[in-house]
Amino acid sequence: MHEIDCICFTKGPGMGAPLQSVALIARTLSLLFNKPLVGVNHCVGHIEMGREITGAQNPVVLYVSGGNTQVIAYSRQCYRIFGETLDIAVGNCLDRFARIINLSNDPSPGYNIEQEAKKGKRLVSLPYATKGMDVSLSGILSAVEAYTLDKRFHEEGAEDKDLITPQDLCFSLQETVFAMLVEITERAMAHIGSKEVLIVGGVGSNERLQQMMGIMAHERQGQVFATDERFCIDNGIMIAQAGLLSYRMGYETPLAKSTCTQRFRTDEVHVAWRN
Amino acid sequence: MWYTWIILDKRTLKIPFASEKHALIAKQTIEVDPELQPHAVKRIITVEENVLIAAFSTLTIRLARLVANAFLENVDLVVRTLEQFGEEAENPPSS
Repeated sequence: MHEIDCICFTKGPGMGAPLQSVALIARTLSLLFNKPLVGVNHCVGHIEMGREITGAQNPVVLYVSGGNTQVIAYSRQCYRIFGETLDIAVGNCLDRFARIINLSNDPSPGYNIEQEAKKGKRLVSLPYATKGMDVSLSGILSAVEAYTLDKRFHEEGAEDKDLITPQDLCFSLQETVFAMLVEITERAMAHIGSKEVLIVGGVGSNERLQQMMGIMAHERQGQVFATDERFCIDNGIMIAQAGLLSYRMGYETPLAKSTCTQRFRTDEVHVAWRN
Repeated sequence: MWYTWIILDKRTLKIPFASEKHALIAKQTIEVDPELQPHAVKRIITVEENVLIAAFSTLTIRLARLVANAFLENVDLVVRTLEQFGEEAENPPSS
């Protein structure tokens, strides 16, 4: 511990109690070992880890997780939010639907939806809710939940009957929300003339999303970068990575300012380590 | 690890630490976060030698229970961190 340079911790955004727990421990260590604190934005952590792992130069970033859904592009020392969800995050939408159809949480609801979706055969009509550069997801969740109350909804049955299975709903939900995400990502790419997409966040480990994004990027002579689950899902080293980058530019968080906040916009960070 | 504490006035908590340095670390760590309801909860945290002293004034009994509970949970985190790393901190490598 004496050999480290600084202690990085998540300043936000996120849930209050876990954030505060970490901040308390970080402050204690900082005072014990006399090391500076570096507060880090969680979203920037995802972005910097993605850039480091994949080597993408200047991608449009799709950050999709249980808590966040944003399309981000870098410009003049700021990660600017080009588009985002107007209500709930896409991971939240998928997880809540998994609970509605009683899918297991092991290993994760999102993974199980992805596996069930592969067995889906029927695309049901769901509202496609892109709003300019943004998306709205809560209406889709209500719509797909309404199908579970439809009289055609059955767990399984003869194939020639007019049936909707949970697998069909998983498939339809994924196809719809992922298409929306691909669209708003493409809008950002067209706006800034980028040819790279980087997908970060827990939902980024979904292979169907990666595939759909790949089709769009390929049509634009571009490519998709994605990390494996070790780095898609929340982890500590991404906070260390982003913290180290800002520490090297002279950034520190004084003890009195080392509070946490549940709302911390990605574009509030001064990205001093890029030009 | 057992730590003893005495409640005085039903509004003051006193927690002894291994040293004054540790008590000061606890004070500085915990006092950074403001109370969530500053209009209903007044908090004063001080250190006397190796003892951390927290005095609370609250508008309701329920709040007294909540803030005391939250404060002790925070103290617990700090104590466990000090327990885990305290010895290493006392022994910097000679270079």
